[in-house]
Amino acid sequence: MARKRGRGMAVCWYGIARTAPADRAAAWVEIDDGGSVKVVTGVTEIGAGILTVVAQIVAHEIGVKPEDVVIGDNDTARAPGPGHAGGSRQTYMVGNVVALASREARKRLVEVMAGAGAWDVDAELIHTGNGEVWAEGTNHRISMGEAVDIAKKRGVVPVGSASFGIDAAARLDPVDGSGRPWQAYVFGCQVAEVEVDTITGEVQVLGIWAAHDVGRAVNPQGVEGQIEGGIVQALGQGLMEDYKLESGRTSTSGFARYILPTSLDVPQVNSIIIEDPDPIGPLGVKGVGELSLVPTIPAIMNAIYDAVGVRITDLPATPEKVLIAIRNKERQGSHMAPQAAE
Amino acid sequence: MPDIRLEATINGRKITRNAKPHQRLLDFLRDDLNLTGNKEGCGAGECGTCSVFVDGVLMKSCLLPVAKAQGAQIETIESLAKTGELSLLQKAFHKAGASQCGYCIPGMVMAATAAIRANPFADREEIKERLGGNICRCTGYQKIFDAVEMARDVQNGRLPATIFSEVEAEQGDYIGKNVRSIDAPSKVTGRLKYAGDMTMPGMLHVQVLRSPHPHARIVSIDTAAAETMAGVEGVITSADVPGEDGFGVIVNDQPVMARGKVRYVGEAVAAVAAEDLLTAKRALAAIEVVYERLPAVFDPDEAMRAGAPVLHDYAPDNITKHIPIRVGDVEKGFAESDLVVKEAYSTQAIEHAYLEPEAGLAYVDHDGVVTIVSPDQNITHHRHMLARIIAKPIAKVRFIMSPVGGGFGGKTDMIYQGMLALLAMKTQRPVRLVFTREESIISTAKRHPSRTRLRMGLMRDGRIRVLEMTMVCDGGAYGLSTGNVVHKAAVLAAGPYVIPNIKVDTYGIYTNNTPSGAFRSFGALQAAFATESHLDICAERLGLDPFQIRRINAMRDGAVTHTRQKLGSVSLSRVLDAAEKVSGWEAGAPVSRGDRRSDLDRDDIRPPCALGARFAAADKQEAAE
Repeated sequence: MARKRGRGMAVCWYGIARTAPADRAAAWVEIDDGGSVKVVTGVTEIGAGILTVVAQIVAHEIGVKPEDVVIGDNDTARAPGPGHAGGSRQTYMVGNVVALASREARKRLVEVMAGAGAWDVDAELIHTGNGEVWAEGTNHRISMGEAVDIAKKRGVVPVGSASFGIDAAARLDPVDGSGRPWQAYVFGCQVAEVEVDTITGEVQVLGIWAAHDVGRAVNPQGVEGQIEGGIVQALGQGLMEDYKLESGRTSTSGFARYILPTSLDVPQVNSIIIEDPDPIGPLGVKGVGELSLVPTIPAIMNAIYDAVGVRITDLPATPEKVLIAIRNKERQGSHMAPQAAE
Repeated sequence: MPDIRLEATINGRKITRNAKPHQRLLDFLRDDLNLTGNKEGCGAGECGTCSVFVDGVLMKSCLLPVAKAQGAQIETIESLAKTGELSLLQKAFHKAGASQCGYCIPGMVMAATAAIRANPFADREEIKERLGGNICRCTGYQKIFDAVEMARDVQNGRLPATIFSEVEAEQGDYIGKNVRSIDAPSKVTGRLKYAGDMTMPGMLHVQVLRSPHPHARIVSIDTAAAETMAGVEGVITSADVPGEDGFGVIVNDQPVMARGKVRYVGEAVAAVAAEDLLTAKRALAAIEVVYERLPAVFDPDEAMRAGAPVLHDYAPDNITKHIPIRVGDVEKGFAESDLVVKEAYSTQAIEHAYLEPEAGLAYVDHDGVVTIVSPDQNITHHRHMLARIIAKPIAKVRFIMSPVGGGFGGKTDMIYQGMLALLAMKTQRPVRLVFTREESIISTAKRHPSRTRLRMGLMRDGRIRVLEMTMVCDGGAYGLSTGNVVHKAAVLAAGPYVIPNIKVDTYGIYTNNTPSGAFRSFGALQAAFATESHLDICAERLGLDPFQIRRINAMRDGAVTHTRQKLGSVSLSRVLDAAEKVSGWEAGAPVSRGDRRSDLDRDDIRPPCALGARFAAADKQEAAE
């Protein structure tokens, strides 16, 4: 049979929230006239969905709808503590800091409503949600916009700010590497199923089962999007992409020569989100952006070995390379599995 | 050549305009009609971001001379939500989470619209084939397929339109809910302006002269002819840098433009700002640079040898960074092991291939603040560096992040913002630079190619006794994020396993190759490829199931990492259990047993790709009729 199937698996781990140099973030929040919420924070949306995550966290913490959260631009002259998009840091750093700032703004509003000039109730009995403010066990129930109006008439602007940082540790010891490089760790495991065409050497990845701990999923669909996208980038590196240089000059300077995965190359990705909350940050979130790529390639290479008995140790596993390995194996009657040392 | 008098119908409106014969339809739509919804991703018809309808047919507008629009009906992404209400497909993209960075999405929505128009009953495989000419680098396509199927089913009455509605959180508990992406409407309609879509009054166009040599001394640069060309407003070289010239992530070893010598092909040497793009390009050709070629080194192992060409004086051994991890006694560990396996692994350079090529604007505002607008993954750090480079206080430098059309680490480097600032200062006018795809590929960072030697010793019962790894990463001509990449690779190299004896050394090396830099997963990917392939080799030799060998060695709650960090809760067992269970994994040693497995070909995989799915589907439909 020309087409052979196989499966492989691999695991990964990844660090979140850098300790050296210390990572940090800041945010300003204001519950605005009309009951919407303004958030200004150094958040770098590169497509991973962090703006939606921020809107959800603010909505959750203050008690409005996500669509009523307005997020300011990332601008070094206008936003506090801008930081970078990288290191799978933003849900952890920015998510946690906007939660803290939101809690402060909400507290300021609730204190007015609980006061003698307003409802005169225990602040613990005041609830907020979906754009409403109410006091448990009473008939008091008003809109967030009305509550802001009451607060302002009493001379209070419901604002909050927060800083969230990582306890800085020493850099890795230069001799033995000991140190505490990250605050949180995430873990993942992926299984890949492939089909290898033994006539052409082409590998198709048909399925990936990807289980990833993300701490706490703020937007599960967004987490899936990160897992799916990461897996397909890794698939590209594993099977086809190759930036070629000859004496420092590339022969792959355009998309006609630099081959990327298209809609026809991608597996069905079955994501399993595991939530093992981070004990340090206020939300329990960790991150997902980068770790989804890490186990994909070895899972695919292990699956190729399962299917046709050849071990690709030099990426990418192009059809040419796989075919040569299959031919070598047939010729030698043995696979390319490494020799035992010593 | 004289202008063309062009008559066409654009998004339902008849227009008559003059157009330049050399313009592509894409330029005409974007530059002359301000229809910037459809983007340029590659300029070569490969990526599909520029897809429009010409007389109802999906076409790549970067490949069409504007004259082809004569008398034609053109529809762009702006035509789909003209009334303000999103089309079914746009709503479905919003609901399904099908847009991430959004840069490919206008073209993708056009292609999906064409697919559903061509066959309102297209199945998932046919949809994939019909989207095969459009590249998305963020989503992995899965949610795009979901969206097209959702729109198809609503159109066909199989799903109610209420499926598009926003999720309700009755108690206001929005954490854990699939709230629709708040910026998706701006992306699916093409309304979101990326830097390359923005213009400013009086704006000049920037072009960059790049090095043709991998390693050469710059003997002289003569810009006199370029500077006096009509329409040229400013030319800059490294001589125009007023402050400390150097940027990077770990070491500031890269000048804004080559200073004294070039170290890779594609490195910026000079830049021009002119009234229009064509003039700027002509001015580049008028700049005379005399080079004296230097011996170059392209292999990191060779670069580490004595006598190799040296790239940077501060690093005579060409080592950017070396990270050692030491635990226990590896020689003792190997002596105690029942099985020792060694293997070498290598990985290649790859390109981020974000669909949005680099682009940025700069201007000096009324308060003298030098302002940069660009898709920048790290505006905080870049503000600090640029202030030093242009010798201004930090508060006189402002970075505004424009929407980022994909980054993946590749937009972490301040590779062009310095030139924009210098030209804005020199001309006192707004300036804009938009990279071509080719320029983006040759001049910006790649994922580090790596060579890894791995030796592992295990006990007969599967316990890993010792791991020894050496990884050499080609960092290319400048440091960028190399130091951090080899750091992450080293810390994570041995995997989440309890191993009493470890010796890991990772190296980042200078060569005259395109620089390597930050790339999503940052060294961990290269290390895990080696370690996780290796574990399967060991499992085969020990007769252990791949899950089993990992469980035997897995870190558990309270484990201490290889850098002696004590962990709290460790979720590794949970993810192992979940992946094994959900995939229905059949246990067994990895002995190339694919032909006897019973866990293959379940319902939760896709069928193998067979081109021509749409014809097969059509045949089936015909037969059914």
